[in-house]
Amino acid sequence: MKMSKLRADAQALLFLLPFLAVYGLFTIWPMIKGVEMTFYKWTLIKKMKYVGWDNYQRMFNDPEVWAAIWHSTIFVILTTPTMIVLAISLALIANRQSRLQKLYRSVFFLPSVLSVAVASYLGLFVFQPYNGFVNSLLHLLQLLPANSELFWLTEENLSWIALTLITLWWTVGFNFILYLSAMQDIPDEVKEAARLDGATDWVLFWKITLPHLSPITKTITMLQIISSFKVFLQIYIITGGGPLDKTRPIIQLIYQTGFRKNDLGYAATMSYMLFVILLVLSALQYWINNRKGANA
Amino acid sequence: MKWVYRIVALIAAIVFIAPLVWMIVVSIKEEGMKIVTLVDWFTPPYSFAVYDQILSGTKLTNWILNSFFVAFCVTILTVAFAAMAGFVMSKLPFRYKSFMFFLVLAGLLIPGEAIIIPLYQVAKDMSLLNSYQGLIIPVLASPVAVIVLKSFFDGVPNDLLESVQIDGGGTWRIFTQIMLPLNRPALASMAILTFIGSWNNFLWPFLSVTNDSLFTLPMGIPTLMSSYSEDYVKPMVVNTIASIPIILLFIIFERQIVKGVSLSGIKG
Repeated sequence: MKMSKLRADAQALLFLLPFLAVYGLFTIWPMIKGVEMTFYKWTLIKKMKYVGWDNYQRMFNDPEVWAAIWHSTIFVILTTPTMIVLAISLALIANRQSRLQKLYRSVFFLPSVLSVAVASYLGLFVFQPYNGFVNSLLHLLQLLPANSELFWLTEENLSWIALTLITLWWTVGFNFILYLSAMQDIPDEVKEAARLDGATDWVLFWKITLPHLSPITKTITMLQIISSFKVFLQIYIITGGGPLDKTRPIIQLIYQTGFRKNDLGYAATMSYMLFVILLVLSALQYWINNRKGANA
Repeated sequence: MKWVYRIVALIAAIVFIAPLVWMIVVSIKEEGMKIVTLVDWFTPPYSFAVYDQILSGTKLTNWILNSFFVAFCVTILTVAFAAMAGFVMSKLPFRYKSFMFFLVLAGLLIPGEAIIIPLYQVAKDMSLLNSYQGLIIPVLASPVAVIVLKSFFDGVPNDLLESVQIDGGGTWRIFTQIMLPLNRPALASMAILTFIGSWNNFLWPFLSVTNDSLFTLPMGIPTLMSSYSEDYVKPMVVNTIASIPIILLFIIFERQIVKGVSLSGIKG
């Protein structure tokens, strides 16, 4: 394109300006500002006093911080593999020829459009003891004795199960669609040829479908790990981080430290720890994706 | 084998839809009825009295409108800003281009959640707390959208752009009359994902807004729910009312939404 260099630069800048202004002011600048905050005692009202590395020292010796990071990690461990298996299974269901094919697709994706608050509160009531949906269903089917109740939301292990099930139900739709469209990319001739060679559905799945899904699985896995690590609202609404903070994730701790305990400096320090963790995970994702590119 | 598949498929579909059906059924149940088994939720007496109560007695509809308004503004502006930036980075020569690219790529690694505390301080310094501007402006820069759109713009042949330029078209014309129309599916995909993201954005509104007239749904709902202890009907009415508009949108735009989501998987 022919233009004087200066004019070209000016024009480019004009196009970039809206994005750059917002990006600079509300992403880059807070990142820099955050470093400053970690070195101060800093309340919701104002900057109090310089404390050096105190916040960092305190963080590394704070069992609550490590517990919260562990809870976020548990959530990652529980949701990631189950998410992949469920998303692939649902895609297999919706990919089969059937009159209900379209209906299945809509039904599996529908929960994904609900507001996170709606999904969480629905989950909260679905897993309520006595009259909640799950317990009354179990009673009705006689799977749970009439005089006993499962306390999904107040018993540590059960709350993890409930949180996982609710999250899967609410968010599997996106990954389901990604898998479904990847499955539909497999050329029919490939499947036909395999069938002519006598391959059963089972063999077809393991030898053709699954290998074809492996690149998208890598991407989904990493994205799921990162987003599960950032979990907050579902847990905040459903268990409140309880029982006894046993399900409290790191973001909830950051929020409580900053806004309930009025200690923004310390909360910012924890945010930086979270940042480093997510940075490592993202770098890992980048590395895995690029390695995949190199193989292809 | 075919029957096994059919039964599994049907069970899966029922499991997915059941909580929503239950939500609606409970929401029209008359309040204060004795519930002994699951079946009792589904039987009459039904009543819409609570709907009236919630629609007229709370700010729920106000919050639904806020959610739509914020999501709408955020979607339009985010995609517009990202498209402009992506276009420049794809098709225009300028100094510091590789630095720009690096800067945007770095943004992919910065999670919003990790800078939320200093962002609060920055927004406070700029008097953006408790305002629509404060809900909207800080979230408008999406490095992901820039990168994805840039990669789509890269696919438009340069010859095409040059032929327009020979015809005397300026850069703005190239952008609005060639780049945008040619990449409509990619733009739609970004718009849909941005809309859903904003619809569910909780942390930032939660921290930046305390005035309940400015609440969006993710914050309004918990506020409302905390006052309904031990009650099933009111919370389910709130859930149902809050979900109706977005479910209707989903039914109308299902094809586009599904396409948009699957497109994001290709380049994202």
